[in-house]
Amino acid sequence: MIELQGLTKSYAGTNVVDDVSLTLETGEFGVLIGPSGCGKSTTLKMINRLVPLSGGRIILNGDDVTDLPAEQLRRRIGYAIQSTGLFPHWSVAQNIATVPQLLKWPKSRIDDRVDELMAMFHLDPVEFRHKYPHQLSGGQAQRVGVARALAADPEVLLMDEPFGAVDPLTREVLQAELKRVHQQTGKTIVFVTHDMDEALQLATRIALLNGGRLVQYDRPIEMMVKPADDFVREFIGQADLGLKLLSRRWVHQYQRAPSLEHHATLPGLDHCWQLDDAGRPVALEGARLDDDHGVTPVKAEWIAKPEMSMKEALSRMVWYRVMVLPVVDDAGKLIGEIGMQGVMGIQAEAEGRVS
Amino acid sequence: MNGAVHGARRLRAASAGNGVLGVLIVLLIGLTLGMGQLEPLFRALFPDLGNPLYARDSFLNLMLAHIGLVLMSSLISVTIGVAAGLFVTRPVGREFEPMVSSLAAIGQTFPPAAVLAIAVPLAGFGFAPTIIALSLYGLLPVIQNTIAGLGTVPQTTLEAARGNGMNRWQILRRVELPLAMPVIIAGIRISVIVNIGTATIGSTVGAKSLGTPLIAGLVGNNLAYVIQGALLVGLLAIVTDLLFERLERRYSFGS
Repeated sequence: MIELQGLTKSYAGTNVVDDVSLTLETGEFGVLIGPSGCGKSTTLKMINRLVPLSGGRIILNGDDVTDLPAEQLRRRIGYAIQSTGLFPHWSVAQNIATVPQLLKWPKSRIDDRVDELMAMFHLDPVEFRHKYPHQLSGGQAQRVGVARALAADPEVLLMDEPFGAVDPLTREVLQAELKRVHQQTGKTIVFVTHDMDEALQLATRIALLNGGRLVQYDRPIEMMVKPADDFVREFIGQADLGLKLLSRRWVHQYQRAPSLEHHATLPGLDHCWQLDDAGRPVALEGARLDDDHGVTPVKAEWIAKPEMSMKEALSRMVWYRVMVLPVVDDAGKLIGEIGMQGVMGIQAEAEGRVS
Repeated sequence: MNGAVHGARRLRAASAGNGVLGVLIVLLIGLTLGMGQLEPLFRALFPDLGNPLYARDSFLNLMLAHIGLVLMSSLISVTIGVAAGLFVTRPVGREFEPMVSSLAAIGQTFPPAAVLAIAVPLAGFGFAPTIIALSLYGLLPVIQNTIAGLGTVPQTTLEAARGNGMNRWQILRRVELPLAMPVIIAGIRISVIVNIGTATIGSTVGAKSLGTPLIAGLVGNNLAYVIQGALLVGLLAIVTDLLFERLERRYSFGS
C-alpha cells in the first residue's frame, strides 16, 4: 500500500507537485496521468526518492520512505523507464539480475529467477540470455526493462511511461502482457502515462493531475461517467467516450446463453448457431446486417472470448457485419453469445449510474 | 546470416591484424637484440662513417630504459589524469572542471623541451626531470578523454542505475567506468604513444633512452645512429599502438 500525504515538490518557489494526497491499496494498478508538466513523473520519482520531497509524506507499507536509506528503499521498489535504461554493456541476463545481485542473492537463485522472468515475458532464455541490449527490438528491450524491475520481487513497481517509445502495435502487445503480469503477480503498480487509452486499458485507479494538483482520483469507469470538472471531461475526450467505456467492459459481463434454435418472436434477432460434434460453433443462421436469413460460416476472427473487451467485440461485429458473436472457451466450445443489444445495454446502464 | 557473414569478416580482419602485429613484434625484438648483425648493411649505406653502429650501450639496455621511462611517466599521467577526470565529473568537483581542463591544456602547449629545461634545476639531471616532463605532457589526453568518456554515459542509464538501488560507488564501478572505458583507453593510447616519441629528448638531460643514439647521431653528424634509434622508437610506437587498439576493442561492445 502506498499513501501520498500532502506531497509537494517545489523548484525555485513554484510548486510543480502541489499537495497531492492519495492512497493506492496493495495489488492495485494506479495510473498517474495528465498533460505535459503536470507533475506526474515528479510524483512517481518522489516515491523512490530519485527526486527529493519538498513537503508531505510518502508511506510505503507502513514505512515513511524518507526514513530508509535511499538505496535500500530503491531495491524494494521496481523501476522501469521509457527508454528502458538497460545497461548496454550487460547481457539480458545480467540486466535482469541487477537488483538481486545488489542484494547478494546466491548465484543459483539469481539464475532461477532470471529464467522465471524471461519465461514470464516470453523471452526464450536460450536465445536471449546472452544477447546485449543493442541486439534487441524495442519491444524485447522494454520487456527486459520490466523484467529487471520485477527481478527482486519488489513491493511496488514504478513505471515511467515505459511504453512511450515503442510503436503502437508493440505497445498494445506490451500492455496486454503487463496486464497479465499484474494479474499473475498481484503487484502494486504505479504507472505514468499521458495516453488516456493506455490508462483506461490498464488502470484499476486513475489519478488525473493538472498543474501539479490532483484533479480527480477514481476508478476508470467513474472517471468517465462522473468527471469532476470540465478539465477531466476534456482530457478523457468526449468524441469516443462510449467506445472508451466499452474498453473497460468485458464480454463475460454481458454474454448470454447462446440461441440454439430460431425464435420467431424476436423480429430481426431471429438467429441460431450450428455446432459441430465438439460443441464448437460452425455457422450462424440469420442475424446478418444485410441478410436476415443467410447462413454465415463462423470465422476465427469474429469469435469472442469472455475476457475480451466489449470494445473489441463491437469492433468485430461492425467489421464482419453481424449482430451477434459466438463466445467460446479455451477449447473453442460455444459457451454463450454476445449481441449488439448487449453493447447498447451497457450504455444504458452507464447512463443509469450518472442519475 | 548477415550477422554471421559480418562476424566472419571481422574475424578475418582480426586475424590479419594478428599477423601484422606478430611480424612487427618479431621485428622489434629482432632489431633490439640483433642490431649488430646489420653492421655490414650500415657500413655499405654509410661508407664515410668510421663507426656506423652505435655501440656505447646495448640496444636492449636502451630499449628497456626507454620502456621504463614511458611506463613510469604514463603510470603517473594515467593515475593523475583519471583521478582528476573522475573528480571533476562528481558533484563535489564539478565546479573545478573548467580549471582542470585549462590547466591540462596549458601543460600541453609547453614544448616538452621547455618543461625539461624548467625541471632540470628543480630535479637535477637524468631520470627525474624526464619523468616530470613526460608525465605533464601525457596528462591532457587522459584527463580530456576521461571527462569525455564519462560524459557519453546516457542519462537514462544513470537514472536506471540509481532507480535500481545502486549507490554512487556501484554506479561508478559497474556502469560509468565500463561504459567510458573505450574512450578512456583511447586517451591513454594517445598519451603513451606521444610519450614514446617524446621520451627520446630525455637523453638531452642525461636520461638513458632510445633517444641516446639519436641525440649522439645528431650531435656527431652520424646519420646511422639516428636511423638506428629512430627505427626502434618508431617500431615500439607502432607495436604499442596496435596493442592498444586491441585493448580498446576488448572494452567496446555493440555496434
